[in-house]
This record gives sequence, structure tokens and C-alpha cells, in this order.
Amino acid sequence: MVRELAEAGVFGVAVPEDQGGLGMGLAAGGVIAEEVGRVIAPEPVVSTIGLSLGLLRRLCPDHPKMAQLIGGEISLAVAWQERGPDGAPADATCRYADGKLTGGKAWVVGAIGSHGFLVVAEQDDGPVLVLAEADAQGLVIDKRTQADGSSLGELSFSGTPAAELASSGAVLTALAEAVADATALAAAELVGLSERAFEITLDYIKTREQFDKPIGSFQVIQHRAVDLNVMCEVAQAGVREALAQMDSETDPKVRAPIASRAKARAVTAAKKITRDAIQLHGAVGYTDEFDIGLYLNRALVLSAWLGDDAYHRRIWFETREAEGAAQ
Amino acid sequence: MTDWNAMTDAEFRKEVRQFFEAEYPEELRHLPHRPKFAEIEHWHRKLHAKGWVAPAWPAEFGGMGLNAAKLLIFYEEQQRWGVNRGRDMGVQMVGPLIIKFGTQEQKDYWLPRILTCEDIWCQGYSEPGAGSDLANLRTRADIDGDDFVINGQKIWTTMAHDATHIFMLVRTDPEAPKKQQGISFVLAPMDQPGVEVRTITTLSGETEFCEVFFDDARTPRENLVGELNKGWTMAKALLSFERIFIGSPSLAQNALGQLESFARGRGAFDDPVFRDRFAQAALDVEDHAALYARFADQLKRGETLGADVSMLKIWVTECFQRITELMIEAAGPDGGSIGPLQVGNINVDVLASFYKARPTTIYGGSNEIQRNILSKAVLGLPG
Ligand SMILES: Cc1cc2nc3c(=O)[nH]c(=O)nc-3n(C[C@H](O)[C@H](O)[C@H](O)COP(=O)(O)OP(=O)(O)OC[C@H]3O[C@@H](n4cnc5c(N)ncnc54)[C@H](O)[C@@H]3O)c2cc1C
Repeated sequence: MVRELAEAGVFGVAVPEDQGGLGMGLAAGGVIAEEVGRVIAPEPVVSTIGLSLGLLRRLCPDHPKMAQLIGGEISLAVAWQERGPDGAPADATCRYADGKLTGGKAWVVGAIGSHGFLVVAEQDDGPVLVLAEADAQGLVIDKRTQADGSSLGELSFSGTPAAELASSGAVLTALAEAVADATALAAAELVGLSERAFEITLDYIKTREQFDKPIGSFQVIQHRAVDLNVMCEVAQAGVREALAQMDSETDPKVRAPIASRAKARAVTAAKKITRDAIQLHGAVGYTDEFDIGLYLNRALVLSAWLGDDAYHRRIWFETREAEGAAQ
Repeated sequence: MTDWNAMTDAEFRKEVRQFFEAEYPEELRHLPHRPKFAEIEHWHRKLHAKGWVAPAWPAEFGGMGLNAAKLLIFYEEQQRWGVNRGRDMGVQMVGPLIIKFGTQEQKDYWLPRILTCEDIWCQGYSEPGAGSDLANLRTRADIDGDDFVINGQKIWTTMAHDATHIFMLVRTDPEAPKKQQGISFVLAPMDQPGVEVRTITTLSGETEFCEVFFDDARTPRENLVGELNKGWTMAKALLSFERIFIGSPSLAQNALGQLESFARGRGAFDDPVFRDRFAQAALDVEDHAALYARFADQLKRGETLGADVSMLKIWVTECFQRITELMIEAAGPDGGSIGPLQVGNINVDVLASFYKARPTTIYGGSNEIQRNILSKAVLGLPG
């Protein structure tokens, strides 16, 4: 499926044309992400468009891996977060010196099956982006299975050889931008997922009969369905608007809270819709026989990835306050 | 005669904004109550002189002839500046009905009087037994020679105590097989012995609406608008534009602005829980505006809106209520106090906003009724 997506130009959608992409921007990426969400495809579409290509196109657009990523020949997982001793996210300490990595990275999406890792690490004079091959020496990948059956990688490096791609402050700026892109695209994926979960539920309540009537004829059920529908429409309108705004905005300080707005909305909607969907299905919704549960499981994973709704509301608020204070 | 529709949206918006900002009296901005005509008469004269009393009416009847897109801009600017809608039931409700269904004589007689506010109208639809189930109405109008004789009671009639005329739905055929049939739309003068108006005080202590009793009140038969017994379908035909208007983001946006300055002044943002709820409300308003823009674009492309537009009203009114509830929370021990609270150099009447938000989920088709409509007309649910 990855090759088919690549042939359709999916991975290069937000890469400028002079770098071998389609140059259609994030809004178009969002339309693709919505489709991916609708079919809960396990493909690394958003992480490739947003993270790996997002980093490479900003830092080293001439790198040969760009074309391979766009062509769907390889996937590269991006590793930048670290886990502290208490298990919570912590400051980065993973080191890069003399061409070798030492330390660890956590919450790496697409780690299993990836051809290599784009690792953001520290070296003596600041941050650096390096590429470690998947089979590099001294690289151990631990996997944590997620609710939807996918896994997150926990990487540990002990003198693992890696090639430097870029260094200096630009790395962190590009990382922040790529994370913002991926955050907004994940929001779009959640919108598609929510829509489809709602449609499945709507079909179900029209056909399931109890008390000699479709359960969708009961007013309580109808009003809940309407609320989910409204939530879906608001989320779609809000997220699409946010993605379009990100395309017309270049200042990273402005783009970041827009991405947060999108993710906050999409997570709030997806959580509510997928959980109510289970309730409206009754016991069959609690089995793994029926697709609806897959939507709940995928929503759990996409919600936790790159920050949930409460997290993004906080970021959104704090950025707004900082800007207000700056003015 | 200016062809407003020929202007670009931006030009038109600028023109409207400039007029409101230059001419609208500062002390009438964001009025917390519905004014009597005398209070806003001066402003109404200015609006009339400008020819802007009836933005939606065709120019031939003295309106601005705005298309849907321009109309939306006009109302957005009106709400943005806190311009009171005035006593606009004549303009918004009777006028369009007369224009659409009235005779030439009715148009010639009533329309100019609506524009000048020589006649001030109130809406007599609801009755004690006919709220959401409006078709259940029982007030009768019986033909007696050249007149209708009206008996019964209307209720919740906004500003009836400051109106000269009432437009009403009345039962003209009690034998009709369905209750939606046998209803007619008639106009009646208020100043007559058979009409008695009693004001009802609202929760906030205002007298905004009334009960109106009809005891052998009379109105000439020529005051029937449209065909006899066809009032129900006519009244329904009018609702389509109102449904996006009533779902516009401005009420919630204005309240959010108030909430923010008030909460900041009161130090409520020091509390992370409050911050999160504020952020939720603010994002609810922002994303609603995105959905509103989608429907507005539909209008601008000349499409008619479907029943799904009702979701705007559901969302924005409930959001408006949450915002005003947060204002009360931010007020802490002042949360039960009537009147303006001073914060820095602004005054915020927390309870006035709270009260104003309450009925928005009741009138204009209650939010439960809107959900009923959406579930059937949009989601296609049975029963
Ligand atoms: C401030 C204000 C101004 C008004 N001005 C006017 C005016 O000028 N002229 C005029 O004619 N009317 C006016 N109204 C009346 C308004 O139109 C009615 O209040 C409205 O139609 C609801 O009717 P009701 O109040 O009788 O409530 P009811 O219909 O009795 O409803 C009570 C509750 O039951 C719910 N309910 C009712 N039916 C259903 C159902 N089928 N399914 C689920 N829930 C249901 C409602 O949603 C509501 O929550 C005004 C109302 C207010 C609050």
C-alpha cells in the first residue's frame, strides 16, 4: 500500500516542487490524512509527510533520502523525545560525538520496520540531526505495543555510528516546525477517523432493533447522534481552517498555536465520538469482532501522540499569553 | 440608488462599519436590555434617513436589497459594534411576509409605516398551550361581517407593551383535519378595548415580554395576509435565513471578549483549571466560526442552506451559556451581585450576560427541537 500511496504523490504533497514534491501544502496533506483516518490505515503517512520529510526538507533538501522517502522506497522514523527516570518526558541527553550516538530516545513512531532513524541529539556545540541505519551497531530497539496494534520504539544507542545531517540551532527550529506540521496532520487524521466512526454508528442505530423499533428512533439516541455529528462538523471546519492558515503563515511562533488549536479540537471530538460509538453499539461494540472498536483504539493512539487535547489547550493558551505580554 | 451588491465584500464592510462607528450613539452600544422605541428613536431616524432600516428588503419597497452575502456582512458589523437591532420585528418578520404574500394594497399601506416605525410590531405566535408545539395554538379568529373577531391568549410576546400592532397566527378553521391546517396569519391593532397587555417580569428583573389577551378584539378582514388557513406554511417559509443569523458567532465572541478582560482583571488566569476552561471556550468559539464561515460561503455562492445549518445555533448558544457561566466563576464572591462590577477601567455586568444567555437555547426553536430536526432531516433517523 505504501508504494501505491507514493505513486499517488501522497508523501511529497507538502514538499515544494523544486525539491521533488507536489508543493500542495499542508491543507492538501490534511485531506490525505483525513482519508487515512477514515480507513484507520496503519501506514506512516502523517509521520512521513510531517516529521521525516518535514525535517529533511527544511534542513537538507538535497539529501538522497528525500527522493526515496517521497517515492515510498524507505521510511525513516524520527527520534527526538526522551524518557526520564520517572518514566515521564525529560530533557534530551542523548549525545553525539566522533560520529557515534550514546543514550536513548523514546516514543518513536514507526520504529519497527523503519530503514533508519533521524535522531536529534546533542553535541559539544549544540543540537545535531543525525541518521542512524536500522541495523547499526549498538542500536537496541524495544517495542511498546499500542492499543491499535502498532508499536512505539524505545531506542538505546551505545556508540552507535550515525551520519551528521545538520547542526546548530536550525535543527531545533526545523524540529519544532516539523512537529507542528505533524500535529496538525494528526488532527486531520483524527477528523477522518471520527467521521467514519460516526457514519458506522449512524448506520448501526438505524438498523439495530429493540422494543420492535430501530434504536435510532429513540430520542435520547437521536440527540446524542446529533451532538456527535455537530462535534464532527465543528472539528472538520476548525481543523481544515487551521491547516489552511498554517499554509499561509511562515512565522513558527504563529504556526505552533494554530497546530495546537487543531489537535486540541480533533482529540476532544475523536475521544467523545469513539467512546459514545461504543456505547451506542452496546455489547457488540465491546468486542473485537466489530470494526467500531478499531476506531476507538486508533483514536487512543493518535490522541496520545504529540500531545492530547488538555496539553494542546495549555500550549495554545500559554503562547497566546506570551504574545499578549510581548505586545 | 446605490447597488450595494455590486461592491466588493471588503468595500461594503468598510462602508457599513464606518457608518456605525461614526453615527451610532456610544451609550447605546451593547445594550443589556431590549429598549423601548423612545430610547432608540433618535438612532432609528438616522438609520431611516440613510435608507438602512431594512437591509434585506428589495429596493423597490425601500430596503437596501442586499443579497445573502452582503446581508451577513451587514449583521456581522451590526453585532460587532454592539448596534441594537431596534424594534425590528416589523422589518424582520411582518415586512418579508407582506412582500411575499401580501396584496398590493397591503404593501402600499404597511411597508412604509414599518420603515418609519409609525407602526411598531410584536409577534403573537406562542400561547400557553402552544410553545414548541406551535401548531397547537387555539386563539381563534372568526369572521363577522367585514371583520375578524379574535378571542384567546398569546404569551411571551416580546415588547408587546411597547407595540402598536401585533402579527399573529390564529385558528380560522377549528374543524380542519390536521392542526397545521386551519391556521391563518393576521395583523391586528393593539390599541382597542378587546386587547389587554400584561407585562411579565423576567428572571433578570426586566419587562421584556408580555401576555396578550383577546376578548372580542376586532381586525378588518383585509388584514388577513395570504390565503385563509394557509398561515402555517407561510410562517415556516420565512425561517430559512433566520437560521444562519441566529447561529452567528458574534454573541459568543462578544461574551468571550468580556470574559477575558474580566478574568484577567480578577486574576482568574492564575488558576490552571480556569485557564483550561477558558481555552476550551475560546477554541469552541473559534472553531464554531470556522463552521459558520462554511455555511456563509454556501450562501455567498448562491446556494440555499439545508436543515444542517441549525447546528450553528445549537453550538453557539450552548457555548455562549458556558462563557457566561465562567464569568460568574471568575467573579467569585461577587457572582451573585446585580449590576456592573468594576475591574480596572472596565465595567462588566456578569449577571446581565448570564441572564441574556439563558433564553437563547429556548427561543428560535429550542435546542431540543433543533436536535429533533437535525436527527430527522440531516441524519435520516426514523420515528
Ligand atoms: C426571551 C423570549 C422571548 C420570546 N419572544 C416571543 C415572541 O415575541 N413571540 C412569540 O410568539 N413567542 C416568543 N417566545 C416564545 C418562544 O418561542 C417559546 O418559548 C418556544 O417556542 C418554546 O416554547 P415553551 O416556552 O412553551 O416551551 P415548551 O415547548 O413547553 O418546552 C419546554 C421544554 O421541553 C422541551 N421540549 C418540548 N417539546 C419537545 C420535544 N418534542 N422533544 C424534546 N424536547 C421538547 C423544550 O425544548 C424545552 O426544553 C419567546 C421566548 C423567550 C424565552
